[in-house]
Amino acid sequence: MVASEVHYPKSLAEVLELQRLHPSLLLFAGGTDIQRGRGGRYIDLPPVVALLEGVPELHLITRTERFLELGSTLTLGSLLELKKGILPEALVAAIGGVATPAIRNLATLGGNLAARGRFMDLWGVLACLDTLVELRDPAGPRWVGLNRLCDDEGRPAFPAGSLLTRARLPVEAWNSWLLRSLADPEEQGSGKAVFTLLARVEKGLVSAFRLALAGRRLLRFPAIEARLVGTRLPLARKEIRELKEDYRRAASELAPLAADRLASLVELALEGYSR
Amino acid sequence: MTVTFILNGEDVSARFRSGERLVDVLREDFGLLSPKADCRNGSCGKCLVLMDGKLVPSCQVPAFRARGKEIITFEGYSQTEEHADIRAALAVTGLETCGFCEAGVNLAIASLLEIKPRPDRAGMLEHLSAVRCSCHDPETLLETVLAADEVRARRLYHRGRQ
Repeated sequence: MVASEVHYPKSLAEVLELQRLHPSLLLFAGGTDIQRGRGGRYIDLPPVVALLEGVPELHLITRTERFLELGSTLTLGSLLELKKGILPEALVAAIGGVATPAIRNLATLGGNLAARGRFMDLWGVLACLDTLVELRDPAGPRWVGLNRLCDDEGRPAFPAGSLLTRARLPVEAWNSWLLRSLADPEEQGSGKAVFTLLARVEKGLVSAFRLALAGRRLLRFPAIEARLVGTRLPLARKEIRELKEDYRRAASELAPLAADRLASLVELALEGYSR
Repeated sequence: MTVTFILNGEDVSARFRSGERLVDVLREDFGLLSPKADCRNGSCGKCLVLMDGKLVPSCQVPAFRARGKEIITFEGYSQTEEHADIRAALAVTGLETCGFCEAGVNLAIASLLEIKPRPDRAGMLEHLSAVRCSCHDPETLLETVLAADEVRARRLYHRGRQ
């Protein structure tokens, strides 16, 4: 076991300087993902570690009329303590589904988005909400969509050497959401994938419809969603069946059972809107 | 490496290897045996402690993270008058926990009692699910929380009148 040098930076500038000096620096926030599945006597750490919790810029919550910005080291527990109505309901539900309350007091928003092995529980809902994240590296800060944290095959690809400082969520009303944990079609055993569906219906018309399945891979279906926008509700039984089949076909790269489950959940949601 | 922190109300220093877990430092360096290193992945709740007032699994906290923090184990919490409320409630409901989960259960109840406004029934049960042990049932645990809340409210009321 390597004896690690642990730093306790007090500002973003200090973190960036540490990153410049130590390219293999481990940015330690909640640490729950780093320890996932490693139950040994010692936590395996690289030679240099920076504990981020003392950096005030990373705990900030800012709210404007159009956006809600959340610092990356806010714990999931602290997000659940926010006054009702500040976070979108679907996000609150997704956070409430993460591990246990005690783990949520350690796990952070940034850790959930920057995990490399798989998409964590909040990924789907944050992607559906069109969340942007601010990344900082020696070249400076930049805002990117969550799709930039995936590779071409839809697998997690958080850019090495970057620091995720905050997430920006558009403030929008969603009248309907559905979250379900499914067995991850790409993983045998206990792995799960989170199915997220958000919809906005205004004056009887579907004005936004977003779906994501996030586990080992992220699946999105923008073409079907674009077709659904502008559709008048209620949908006829035949239309619902056709959309269900469209989703099943679009998800055909999954195991048949997983594609069926995904299509059935879409059907369940669409039938709900049509009642 | 060496860090200083507050442990059960006292300023302490500990020297350990950088990858060491807080649960092991508490048990081996300080002889506090109430947190148990059982699952070592944070799911069983037998190593729970309060870190700056928040319930956390100490097996998931690297000891270096304790620097400057206040850590309370069951040994410390059981000396407080807040715990007397929980003891009184346990006597009322007859809940008996095993030696493995006793600390976790008591600290989970303690942290739940601090949440204002109190969560609904489902929220309370979910909070208490931080400890997984077959020795107790969630319903009696919930009754104990409600009883402890009443005991505390009475205690604070009487103190206010004195």
